[in-house]
Amino acid sequence: MAGLAEVTFDCKLYGAEAVQKAAYRGMNAFTLDLKVEGDGIVCRLVGNITTEQEAFERAVEDFRKDVLDYQLRAQLQAETAPIRNLIMGLAFSNLRLD
Amino acid sequence: MSKFQGLDTYRRRDTYELLPFKFDRLEDDDYLITNMTGEHLVVPMPELHDLLAKKLAQDNPLYASLRAKHFIRYADEQAPLDLLALKLRTRLARLTGFTSLHIFVVTLRCDHSCPYCQVSRRMDGESSFDMTPDMANKALDFVFRSPNPAIKIEFQGGEPLLNFEMVRYVVETAKQRNLKERRDLEFVIATTLSLLTDEVLAFCHKHDVILSTSLDGPADLHNANRPRVGRDSFERFETGLSKARNVLGVDKVSALMTTTDKSLPRVREIIDEYVRLGFNGIFLRALSPYGFAMKTRRFMTYDTERWLEFYKEGLAYILELNKAGIPFVEHYASLILKKMLTSNDPGYVDLMNPAGTGIAAIVFNYDGSVYASDESRMLAEMGDQSFRLGNILTDSYKDIILSDALLDALEQSFTLSAPMCADCAFEPYCGAEPVFHHAMFKDVVGRKAESSFCRRNISIFKHLIGLMQSDASTRRLFIQWANSC
Repeated sequence: MAGLAEVTFDCKLYGAEAVQKAAYRGMNAFTLDLKVEGDGIVCRLVGNITTEQEAFERAVEDFRKDVLDYQLRAQLQAETAPIRNLIMGLAFSNLRLD
Repeated sequence: MSKFQGLDTYRRRDTYELLPFKFDRLEDDDYLITNMTGEHLVVPMPELHDLLAKKLAQDNPLYASLRAKHFIRYADEQAPLDLLALKLRTRLARLTGFTSLHIFVVTLRCDHSCPYCQVSRRMDGESSFDMTPDMANKALDFVFRSPNPAIKIEFQGGEPLLNFEMVRYVVETAKQRNLKERRDLEFVIATTLSLLTDEVLAFCHKHDVILSTSLDGPADLHNANRPRVGRDSFERFETGLSKARNVLGVDKVSALMTTTDKSLPRVREIIDEYVRLGFNGIFLRALSPYGFAMKTRRFMTYDTERWLEFYKEGLAYILELNKAGIPFVEHYASLILKKMLTSNDPGYVDLMNPAGTGIAAIVFNYDGSVYASDESRMLAEMGDQSFRLGNILTDSYKDIILSDALLDALEQSFTLSAPMCADCAFEPYCGAEPVFHHAMFKDVVGRKAESSFCRRNISIFKHLIGLMQSDASTRRLFIQWANSC
């Protein structure tokens, strides 16, 4: 029987995109049903037919870590976007592209 | 009183700011962080969280490395930005050169019948599978349209020596044209050496042609992998290798291996054979999902995890040899290490972003078709023409280079915008590989979480970083490897 787990994240702390990216990363082990209930992002993880219980439990644990990682990545990307653009400008503004 | 001010005078009172970087989990809650140019550090999770929250103390051992490798800077510092820009430009400099490698499939005929063959060879009497002079001339027109000052022409097959007259024609014509063009021309023949003659060798010597050959391991394994009439593939290879080295020089003959299920338990023997025959390295390759490898289901005879065991065992053995004083490298690791430890990109097509298909390498098939890569023509031999860019006899350079088949694949597979890749800390070391993902998923991006290309490469990246972290002498060896290719 396929594994089943439910995990809830607080909307004030986590973005839906972070949850979606983490789910995409785990798609080799499970699929995700996602909905917002009140202040919570509710994730229902259903193990793939080929995922054994132990592997599914590991995947759920990784999913929780991945959501936090993707949330931090989003914050880091937003904070450093202007300087990334500045570096790209410095790198390529003087190239002759003809 | 000292004329020098104390260290505390130079301590910054303001807070550092973050520069762009990515991070990914390794083992045991350690994280890999990489900046825009692929410089990396391994950081424990608590320090990563402190770093992101700008709470990392100046006396933390990581602090100096983070500044030196441009992960953080102070607002009044311009040098980190200039250095990152310079390194980024260096890393991508290869793109301005455009296509360098031009592959001429001069025949599909072959004297071998390897079950894992990726190009769907034909019997050696069928001359309808040969390139014609007209096609070769048009292909050379195309070659010299490339702006790249360094042009490599590689002859592939089948067995190119079965149409040696065409090899001769292309080399002589290209050199004639190059009197005006003045490019840095290089020629390579990919051959099993089974049909090597004194005449071929004299020609190669005269025109400085390099030979790229195949060696799968000890004689019994090589012959089992590469059947031919007479069952003497290995014996012909060894004789040919010796003759070729005598005439051309040791450094003018390289070898590639293919890993079949029979190879998996024998990685040490395979490496020993390479060492015995005087090669300075080996390229431990997995089977690709193309051509006869798919038709005969050889591609399915082992999975990624088993191949990774084979690879890691081989790498460990090569490191043992290095530490015993035998200089020898694993070429795939060397390519990756160059990306990890230097600002240069080795230009290996599978590990390029944008993908190397078409813009780093292009293929002129025996029938005039132009393909975006060697793998693209292998796919076409299986009936999938997705990466056929046109025909050299009827289409112009512009038609081919600006074809939707090429531009769509390059744009859609770009890793800095592909799902998962865009956030991946290993992205600077990896590649887009649209053809592989199309072959597996019918989609040039593919689902990376299920991609064996992704799983294989990330596992190797992590393994190389782990080896460098755990042993300073291995790190020193890897720095040498990174600078050897």
